[in-house]
Amino acid sequence: MESLFLQYPWLDELLMGFIGLSWKNIVMWGISAVLIYLAVKKDYEPALLLPIGFGALLANIPHSSAISQVVGEEGFLWVLYKAGISNELFPVLIFIAIGAMCDFTPLIRRPSVMLFAAAAQFGIFATAVFATMLGFSFEQAASIGIIGAADGPTTIYVASRFAQDLLGPLSVAAYSYMSLVPVIQPPVIKAITTKAERRIKMGYENEEPVSKTTLFLFPVMVVIISGIVAPISVALIGSLMFGNLLRVCGVVDNLSNCAQNELANLVTLLLGITIGGTMSAESFLTSQVAMIMLLGAIAFVFDTAGGVLFAKILNLFSKKKINPMIGACGISAFPMSGRVIAKMALKEDPSNFIIQHAIGVNVAGQVASVVAGGLVLALIPALAK
Amino acid sequence: MDATVMKALTMMLIALPTMFFVIAVFIAATKLLHKTFPGSQEDE
Repeated sequence: MESLFLQYPWLDELLMGFIGLSWKNIVMWGISAVLIYLAVKKDYEPALLLPIGFGALLANIPHSSAISQVVGEEGFLWVLYKAGISNELFPVLIFIAIGAMCDFTPLIRRPSVMLFAAAAQFGIFATAVFATMLGFSFEQAASIGIIGAADGPTTIYVASRFAQDLLGPLSVAAYSYMSLVPVIQPPVIKAITTKAERRIKMGYENEEPVSKTTLFLFPVMVVIISGIVAPISVALIGSLMFGNLLRVCGVVDNLSNCAQNELANLVTLLLGITIGGTMSAESFLTSQVAMIMLLGAIAFVFDTAGGVLFAKILNLFSKKKINPMIGACGISAFPMSGRVIAKMALKEDPSNFIIQHAIGVNVAGQVASVVAGGLVLALIPALAK
Repeated sequence: MDATVMKALTMMLIALPTMFFVIAVFIAATKLLHKTFPGSQEDE
């Protein structure tokens, strides 16, 4: 074969794809196909899983020009990675879009729901402890724990800073489990609540309207408070709240619409395919990645349990009972988690409408997950010393 | 116990109470904001 290549140098160029092919590439094609299948046939986070799946395919063709890192011949996925992931630009832009989509009215009307959102971040820290027990470094473990924020951009943001080698699997785990909220949360909730608890009705009395001034000042207030506590989180929380400010200020509807549509769509597309491009067989087919997938599921289970158990504890001391299921909406998977829990309540009792409470907690989850991400960002360098 | 596990446990022990403290500040500030600038039916 060698002599054949020496005699016909063009043959090497022509056959390099076949020669470089290994079973690992073919397994990755399978994984890519599964992600595309989940996106197209099952409608699981299609805007992300489809580009990630296709990016993974591009990254696993031997000698793929799409991921080339050769100076002067850089592949477009590598260029996008350097331009938007390694410098954390894409997650921040996504946060502007998410902020523009968020309506914080239910949260402002009933701010105490933020407590459930705080409790539902328990999975982040519990999972990080488990990950260190499985042999991951502290930085990697903390980044794995962030899957429990149920917040893709925060996961990418933290991983791109502290666990770049695990960026692909962490992103896939975060987005896959976010899309699997309807599968993961109901059995966990049922396991730790009684039927009577799931049927608790919550009223809507004493709900005052929220003024435009309050809606306008809320994002500014959140940025100042969380920025002072964890200045490292300002990029994340600041972009989220900037997006929200565009929405509520009432004078830049065109920018708000742009953030909610064009910006969200464009960055999601680029983010997805770039993340897929990091999923080369060498970095993805490892025992570490299998463990990350397992730990991601654990994070979601602990988040759900943390929120629900916290609501049950509050019920011990409160005269006005809370339906503990709403504690599970404290994760950032918005609005899926809120809808899933509202549906569960209706299934238990067709006259029990808790959707507004559930969505309020779910919106609070958006803020709490970013605050948790900020704390992790601040604590990793401090504790890693 | 392994030093790495200790670091993760320390992170949990610091972050969770801090998280609740920050959220408590958020709650108080939001209530104050809502009270200072009450809404009317028109705002809804």
